[in-house]
Order: sequence, then structure tokens, then C-alpha cells
Amino acid sequence: MLKNITMGQYIPGNSIIHRADPRTKIIWTIFLMIGLFAAKNIFGYAMVIAMVGIILLVSDVPIAYTLRGLKPLFVILIITAAINVFTYPGDTVLVSLGVLKITLEGITQAIFIAIRLSLMVIIGSILTLTTTPISLTNGLETLMAPLKKIRVPVHEMAMMMSIALRFIPTLLEETDRIIKAQSSRGADFDTGNFLEKAKSFIPVLIPLFVSAFKRAEELATAMESRCYRGDINRTRLKELNYTKDDAKISIFLSIFFVVFILTKVFT
Amino acid sequence: MNSIVVKDVKYEYINRENEKPSEALNDISFVVKEGEFVAIVGRNGSGKSTLARHLNALLLPTAGTVCIFGKYTNAEDLIWEIRSQLGMVFQNPDNQIVATTVEEDVAFGPENLGIEPADIRRRIDESLEKVNMSKYLNHSPYMLSGGQKQRVAIAGVLAMEPKCLVLDEATSMLDPIGRNDVMKILKKLNIDEGITIVLITHHMDEAAQAQRVILIDEGKLVIEGSPRAVFAQTETIKKAGMDIPQVSSFYVSAVDAGIIQKDQMPVVLDESEDLFSKYCFLSKKHATLPKLDNNLLEKEKVIEVRDLSYIYMPDAPLEKQALTDVSLDVYKGEILGIIGHTGSGKSTLIQHLNGLLTPKSGSINVMGVVPMGKALKELRKKVGLIFQNPEDQLFEETVRKDIAFGLRKRGLSDLEIEERVTEAALTTGLPLEVLDKSPFELSGGQKRRVAIAGVIAMEPEVLVLDEPTAGLDPAGSAEIYQFLLKLRQERDTTIIIVSHTMEDIANYCDKVAVMDHGKLVLVGKTREVFNNKDFLSQIGLDVPQITELFYRLNKKDPHIRKDILTVEEAISELKRITMN
Repeated sequence: MLKNITMGQYIPGNSIIHRADPRTKIIWTIFLMIGLFAAKNIFGYAMVIAMVGIILLVSDVPIAYTLRGLKPLFVILIITAAINVFTYPGDTVLVSLGVLKITLEGITQAIFIAIRLSLMVIIGSILTLTTTPISLTNGLETLMAPLKKIRVPVHEMAMMMSIALRFIPTLLEETDRIIKAQSSRGADFDTGNFLEKAKSFIPVLIPLFVSAFKRAEELATAMESRCYRGDINRTRLKELNYTKDDAKISIFLSIFFVVFILTKVFT
Repeated sequence: MNSIVVKDVKYEYINRENEKPSEALNDISFVVKEGEFVAIVGRNGSGKSTLARHLNALLLPTAGTVCIFGKYTNAEDLIWEIRSQLGMVFQNPDNQIVATTVEEDVAFGPENLGIEPADIRRRIDESLEKVNMSKYLNHSPYMLSGGQKQRVAIAGVLAMEPKCLVLDEATSMLDPIGRNDVMKILKKLNIDEGITIVLITHHMDEAAQAQRVILIDEGKLVIEGSPRAVFAQTETIKKAGMDIPQVSSFYVSAVDAGIIQKDQMPVVLDESEDLFSKYCFLSKKHATLPKLDNNLLEKEKVIEVRDLSYIYMPDAPLEKQALTDVSLDVYKGEILGIIGHTGSGKSTLIQHLNGLLTPKSGSINVMGVVPMGKALKELRKKVGLIFQNPEDQLFEETVRKDIAFGLRKRGLSDLEIEERVTEAALTTGLPLEVLDKSPFELSGGQKRRVAIAGVIAMEPEVLVLDEPTAGLDPAGSAEIYQFLLKLRQERDTTIIIVSHTMEDIANYCDKVAVMDHGKLVLVGKTREVFNNKDFLSQIGLDVPQITELFYRLNKKDPHIRKDILTVEEAISELKRITMN
């Protein structure tokens, strides 16, 4: 169940997207998402889809793997689409079921919403699939550095994020082990109504929390003994540097957005 | 110059408010010289980890002083300097790796020290080279084995270019190969780089490789000296809950029995081989080998595994064939040991035995129950599986409730539950007054008993244990095996034990199954299996130290038996060859 989640994973590679500075990738990811919301008609969507397609191809990440990341989203997609189909105001009524009307506009809107959500996940996945968590957090930290002036604990937040990412696989594995161990002791996770099922997870959650706290404490001790003291006098192995790759990506995407805005203005 | 000077250190901590503070360290004093390799040994809860945390100012003494390379740990402005000179490696490899790649993790220390990027790069390359992990520069630590992770942790400390390395039970969660690798690296760092090593452990065979051993118990220093001098005080060591290596123990028994003259006590295998080689060629006769009793075969078969194969994540990039055509029979009342490397398929195999995994190919039959659908519940009643570190799964408010968890799920009457809980507590040697305590208040050893009691209370006919003694000190391990033997005797429970500790397997198991790369490569009586020393070495498995000793003696003099499993057997064989 959990192994289907592709967002947040990193696939090593040496494409231009992999090599680019995380700041470049974060900024353009944000722009692409904005573009996605600005797209109002079929042309707009087609352009964004084409762009995402190009990036996918260039980035060398397995396309099937990226698309598999949409699977857990399926239920949400269906639900939002259904809500849109029935509630979006429109005039071209196709089917009418009492109060509920299915309109052409509703259906188009539902399709657009589904595409928009899927694209968002894909764009997000491309970012995490091509960027190591550490350089992602480094990028975020540097981008948000100005906020330090108003006492936002940017470094601490970035460190928390990278530790969280580091422990995701460890905790997933641990959850799996605890579920198995409690099953061996007679726990039953499959039968009973919703409430009973939820209750049956107490024997999993408590040990998981206990262990997470223990891990947190041990990790803090280990970090302290390796001289970690927050942001004070700290250097970085990999200083972030913009290179030609970033220039290429930025020029290409700038052109894309100019065209994108022009078509929006003229259609 | 001295690396570490610990003087009259006391450490008290308050468990609960309004309670008398407990003393973890009680007037302890010792000195470690620069370039020394010192082992600090002691049972679980003896205060050795508390002591370790004092060495780089993670804890400050309540009274007394700790001085590291001339700097006192209570001087706040020197803390960072102390920590960069004295690096620590901790027990759990997973909980000390900060970053998502090996390279970034090794960089963490130098980054904190404000080292220039180019210099950090050089330090990463050098430290990974020293721990033989250069190949793994860009790997995710999550994919590495325990031993490899621990080597990365060592590299992470080395990158800070410390003068002293303290390892707080850093080998206790590793398999023999991992432990061996770490020990080799420590010795190399000590000799080639002159780094002072303080190894905190309860594995006496590791302590035997140090220059000096310090034994602590109840927060006090009990004895210190060369391994030889310390091990010679066998009684004191046993009183402190520890043990001495098999070869030393063999020597002591042989001297006590008057078979050999008093000499220098051997503490490692090579010394022992030199000493006992003297006794080669005394006997011209072969020993009459004991007949292997075959009566177990007449017993009822309880588990039948046929051609079992299992693949993790089939058709995915990380696909892994975990089991290939495994066939195994287990008989009523026997104790079967399963040995093999981490990743050889042992865990996958035992998870099939109580239906946590169901066979994808091949079959399993446990006393007529085939693991499928509804029968899974029936199967779990018959087979109790206890995972490694089962104490991690405790969750109830009281020990009593925790032990009763499975019974309650089974819908037994309160009276019967109460009876079974008490009985399970008695079997596992838990004092009845702990039943009303919270499991989280207990010591590690007691927690483990609670977890095992929870499964024993369900009265399974087959009990499967994965590394039941991992992390326990010698006395604690022995107690676990004692009650397992009792359980077999009283209820004729079939017991399957997965373990890396070959001494325990040799001591307690009737039969042994050897796994390698997902295949069952050897199965037989314990004696037969350990008699295949060459084959076991080929797949990287050890035999007990005493078996290895006699194997080597047998190479010199074929009249000496090579199928020795325990120190007692070794003594009687030594008697035989010296008598005529």
C-alpha cells in the first residue's frame, strides 16, 4: 500500500534537470503550478501538458514510475470530479436527475480539475524525483534566507524537513514490523466495523510513537556529539551555485511563459 | 599525555519527583592514555553508557571531574572543542545518521565545525577510505546493512579528525560480519592513525582484543588491567554478570581439573591454539565418537515446508528473491537453530511459519493447518512468533494487560486469563510484583521477558524466536535460554531459534538449519552441522570458538576430535588425550 507513493522519492540521474540548482527547480516548479491555475481553456492546458511532457523526457525519470504516483490520488480525483460534474453551474444540460443536473460545462470542468490535480502531482514529483532531499532543503533554506531577518527559524525548519525525509523509510519499515509483531500476538486489523478497526491500531501507534520519541532523542544526542549547534558558524559541503544548466532551463521556461501569456491575452 | 582522566565521578539522576535520586556512577576513577585501546565492559544497566556520555560532555558529573585532552568537561566554552576531539559512535546505526546520502552524512560533523567546503570534501574521501566505504559515497544509508551503517557513522566522526573515538555498544546490534568489520577498522585506526579507542561492549571476545579492560558494575569500577589479568578473576567477572571467552574458560576449567599446568591464560583463539598444541600427539587413538541419537526422528512431525520460494516486490526495480525452494521438517519438542547472514532469508522463512507471509510457491503444513484464509488464525494459535527486540511492541498501561493482550483477543474468561498471565510470568522469571507496573518502567531485560511472556501465555505448540538474546548481557542471555529449555521440558513445546550467537546455538539446539542466499544449504544435528567448519567458513559463518580451537588442533593431530561443541566436551576430550 505504502510502496506506491512516488512523491518524495529521489531517483539518481545525471540529466540537466538533476544537475540544476535546487533554487532554479523550486522557482520554476512554483511558476508552472501558477501557470496551471492560470490555464482556463484547452489551449492553456495543452501547453502546460506539453511543457511537463518535455521536462519529463529531459529529466530521465521513468515515466511509468512517475505516473504510478497518481494511483493513491485516484479516489480524490474521482470524488472532486464527481462533485464538479454535479455542482458546476452550466446551461447545456445533458442529463437531468431531479435536482441534479449534468451539464456539458460541468463535465469539462471536471476533466480540467482532474488534469490540473494530476499535473500538480506530476510537477511536484519531478522536483522531488530529480533533487536529493538535502539539496531541496538547502535550496528552500537559501531561498527563504531573507526571512531570517524577521526571526523566522529558517535553518531549523529546513533541518527538520530533511530529518523527516531521512526517517520516512525507517519509520515505514518500523510500522510494517510492528504490525507483523502485533499480528503474531493475536492482534486483528482486518475484521470489525470502522471504529473497531481504528481501535485495533492502538497497539501499533503507541509503540510507533514510543520508538519515534526514542529515535528523536538518540538522534539529538548523536547530532549534539557531532557538534551540531544550529546555524552558528556552519558551512556546507555543497555550496549552491548557478551554472549554465540553470541559465538554459531558465531561458527555455521564460520563453515558454512569454508564449503562454501571449496566447492567453490573444485568445 | 592522557586522553581521558576520570576522577571520582558521581552521577545521580532523578527518576521521579520526591524519590531518592538513583546513582548511575559512584566514585569512578580511571585514566586512558593517548593511543591506547581500552574496552569498558559491564552488564546492562551497569552505568557504562552513562559513563560514555560523560566523556564528551553530553552529561556532566554530579561530583568529580572528567578531563579530556587537558580540558575539563564542565567548562562550557570548551565543549565544542572536546566534542571535536573525542568523537562518539552510538548503539543504533539508524538513529545517528542524519542525512539521506552517505556523503552528506559524513559531511555533517565538519559542516558544524565550519570547515571550508574543499576541506570537507577531502575529509569525506579520507574518512570513507579508512572505513572501506568509498564505493558507497552516493548511496542512501537506508539501503546499507547494519555494519555498513555503523562504518558510515565512524567515518562521520573521523571526518571531524578526532584524537579519540568512543564507541558506546556500537557493535551490539550488528551481525558477526558487521562486528568483525568494525573491530578490524578500530584496530587499524588505533595502530595506523594512533587514535585512542574506548570500546564499550558486553562482548568479551571483543574486549579480549583491547590492550586494557575496565570492568564496571553498579556504577563502580570493579577491576581494570590487561585482558589476561582481568579474565583471570573469573569469579569476580561472573558476579558482575559477565562471562569470559570460551577459550579462556576452557583453560580455567582445564587447570582447575588438574589436566594442564598453570600457564599464561589465553584470551584469544591464536594464543589458545599455541598453548594447547603442546597436547597434540599424546594420544595415538581416535576417540570413540558418540553415537548420534536418532530418537527425535520417531517423533511427530509438526512443520513441513516444501519447495518454498518467495520474492519481495515482484516485477519492481527492487525485486528480491528471498527464498528459493526451501524444504524443511521440524519435529515435536525439538529445538531447531536457524543460522545464516543478515539477508539470507531466515526472517522471511520464519514469517511464513505463522502466516505473516503466505507461500507464493511451494507449501507449508503446520500440524495439518495450511496457511490460507481463515486458517491463518488457527495457525497463529499454534505458532507463536517473537520478533527481534520484542520489547519495542509493548504498549499497555500495565505488564499484566500487555501479557494478556493476545488472550483477550482470543476471548478467554477473566479467570483463565489471570491464571495464564501468572503462569507465563513465572515461566519467564518475572517477579509477580512487576505485573502491575507500567512496562515502560522496567529494565531492558525485564521488558523482553514481558514480551516473550505475552506469546508464551497463548500456549503455542511451536515457539519461534528471532534473536531472542540480542543486546542482552551474558547473564541475561543465559536466563532466557534457561526458561526456553524449561518450557520445552514442561510442555514439549517445539522451539525454533534464529541467532547469530553460535555458542548459544551449539549449547542449546538439537538441530541446526543453515541458510545462505535464500536457500537452505545444510540441515542436521547440531554436531553434524558444526562439523562442516570449512563449508560454514565458505559462506562466511563462524563456529563456536571452542569448536574452532579443536578443529585447528585436529588439523595438527587427527587423533583429536574436531566435533567439540561445548567447553565441557572440550574438557573431557582433553582428559582423554592426556590420559594415555
